Amino acid sequence: MATREAGKKMIMLKSPDGMEFEVEEAVAMESQTIRKMIEDDCADTAILIPNINSKILSRVIEYCNKHVPTTGATGAAASDTVAPAALAEDLKIWDAEFIKVNRATRFNLIQAASYLNIKGLLDLTSQTTIDTISDNSLEEIRSFLSTKNDYLPEEEQTIRRENQWAFQ
Amino acid sequence: MRLMSRKRHRQRRRRRTRHDGLIASFCKKKCSLRQQDDYSQSAAGLRPGLDLPEDIYRHIHALMPLRDAARAACVSHTFLQSWRRYRNLTLSKETLGLNVNGIDKDEMARDLISKVDGDLISKVDGILKNHSGVGMKKLELNLYCCRKVDHCYLNSWLRIAFRAGIEELTMLLSLTSEAEYNFPCSLLFSGSEKSIRHLKLSSCVFRPTAELDCWRRLKELLLTNVLITSDELECLLSTSSMLELLWLFRCKEIVRVKIPCQLQRLSFLRVGECRKLQEIESNAPNISTFDISGSNLVRISFGGALQVKNMRMCSYQPNFIWYTRTKLMPSVPNVETLRISSYNEVHQTDMKHDSIVGDISHLRQLPEHCHDNLKSVTIVGFCSAKSMFELTLHIIKNTSSLQCLTLDTSFGSYGCSVDKPGGCNPMGRDIIKEAHRALLAIRTHVEGIIPSRVELNVSGPCSRCHAVEH
Repeated sequence: MATREAGKKMIMLKSPDGMEFEVEEAVAMESQTIRKMIEDDCADTAILIPNINSKILSRVIEYCNKHVPTTGATGAAASDTVAPAALAEDLKIWDAEFIKVNRATRFNLIQAASYLNIKGLLDLTSQTTIDTISDNSLEEIRSFLSTKNDYLPEEEQTIRRENQWAFQ
Repeated sequence: MRLMSRKRHRQRRRRRTRHDGLIASFCKKKCSLRQQDDYSQSAAGLRPGLDLPEDIYRHIHALMPLRDAARAACVSHTFLQSWRRYRNLTLSKETLGLNVNGIDKDEMARDLISKVDGDLISKVDGILKNHSGVGMKKLELNLYCCRKVDHCYLNSWLRIAFRAGIEELTMLLSLTSEAEYNFPCSLLFSGSEKSIRHLKLSSCVFRPTAELDCWRRLKELLLTNVLITSDELECLLSTSSMLELLWLFRCKEIVRVKIPCQLQRLSFLRVGECRKLQEIESNAPNISTFDISGSNLVRISFGGALQVKNMRMCSYQPNFIWYTRTKLMPSVPNVETLRISSYNEVHQTDMKHDSIVGDISHLRQLPEHCHDNLKSVTIVGFCSAKSMFELTLHIIKNTSSLQCLTLDTSFGSYGCSVDKPGGCNPMGRDIIKEAHRALLAIRTHVEGIIPSRVELNVSGPCSRCHAVEH
């Protein structure tokens, strides 16, 4: 239920495995998908987040909590005392720790970020994936991304020839 | 195999649609149990953590650097399709892996250089010809190392980019090109006349015409070593009302830069080393950063320069300091940061400037004018010339807002450190001696009168790079 706590509007998010998370509206609105629902007045009650289990949803909320712009009474005080560059650096270090997860969790986070439309989280998870696969062979990339080689042999030869420069 | 992939793709699309529908219907009905059951069924087909939807693969691919993205095109059709629509193409020796670092260029055989140039051209050509033309938003062609590029190639590449509705175009050609390239403005009409927002050109001929309506959305224009006349520039500016940044460097045909008041969004203006330049007349009301450098003394008039907050000036002209103070500064009363680099006195070989050392008499009184917003002043190339001290003492006396004053008697160090010495600009023996005279004069005439609220930073010749016996 949307409630108020210490003057802040709260939103209830429910995972399909039955867990409920009460979060500040501003935090939930880091997700453009949820923001649109709130703005369209579709979020009077709890919002069910399909496909995202409680373990992943709690991580997503943790990310949004950290990245929500610091506004309001307490937030303004925080941003007044810390320089923007220091804040950005702090976030970067936090992100690097946050994303130290196994492959399955990371892929779940990518899907959650994409579904909930959280650009920062999507870029973070995608970039970490790119860093992981950047020096790998094609087979290793396919295996890591669980994607199949759907080229016919002659097709693959042609495209390999075209992009030969990238393998040198 | 392809068929299977399409089938899987269709299945995924169906799944996604169902989920989107779910979240919407749940909101409308404000209930949860039934939808949760529905969800459990629909989610049974998903393999979380093992597989990603194709749009996420595309997102990942679009973020990859050029080389990785080209390699990944060989992974599967999904990645190939994404490669054919790659958004930001930065094509240079570096991004295409043609780095010749480590080879002494003087000793590098001419045919090796031309082979690398040829490789670069053929690779750029291959990438652009194979691009679908869809989705390309940014093209950067860094060809500054290629002395000889067939203009037919350049035209065909630009045609592809313009057809794609490019938003950002950078084309850097060689300073020593064998033939001048005429930038084909008319090609913009093949699709980019409404999209082009950023244009950066170097070493070419650029003749924009008034009737072209393609500059309406232009936000940033950067021209280096480009042949464009004052009238042509004026004409372009008169039709580019969205312009925010204008950068002109070594454009040797420009005599006058006239900026109309319609350029309400223009906030950054930098004009450097345009050797025939005589006059800058700006009526744009919102310029906040103004930066000028060059060897000629330019008449500058600001019709509406009240917003200028950052001003950087660099000149070799002897009267530059006096001109800055008496003519220019009164027209920019809100300036907060001022950086002046003057190389006139210290670069004279005979060092016969009117030094303050030993003779403090006859300092000219500058007209009274307060600079109530000026917070930071930096003078690079500070020497013991009286004009420097007239300006410095005037600023200290008339600037109650001043927080920081930096007097640099050398010419800056670039990465010079104890571990890695040698990063400073070279200074002749006489110039080093003059810098020490200036340091002495600062101690005598400036340090004693500096208010306690002002932070004074004085830097002298580097003890590692510029050590001389006195």
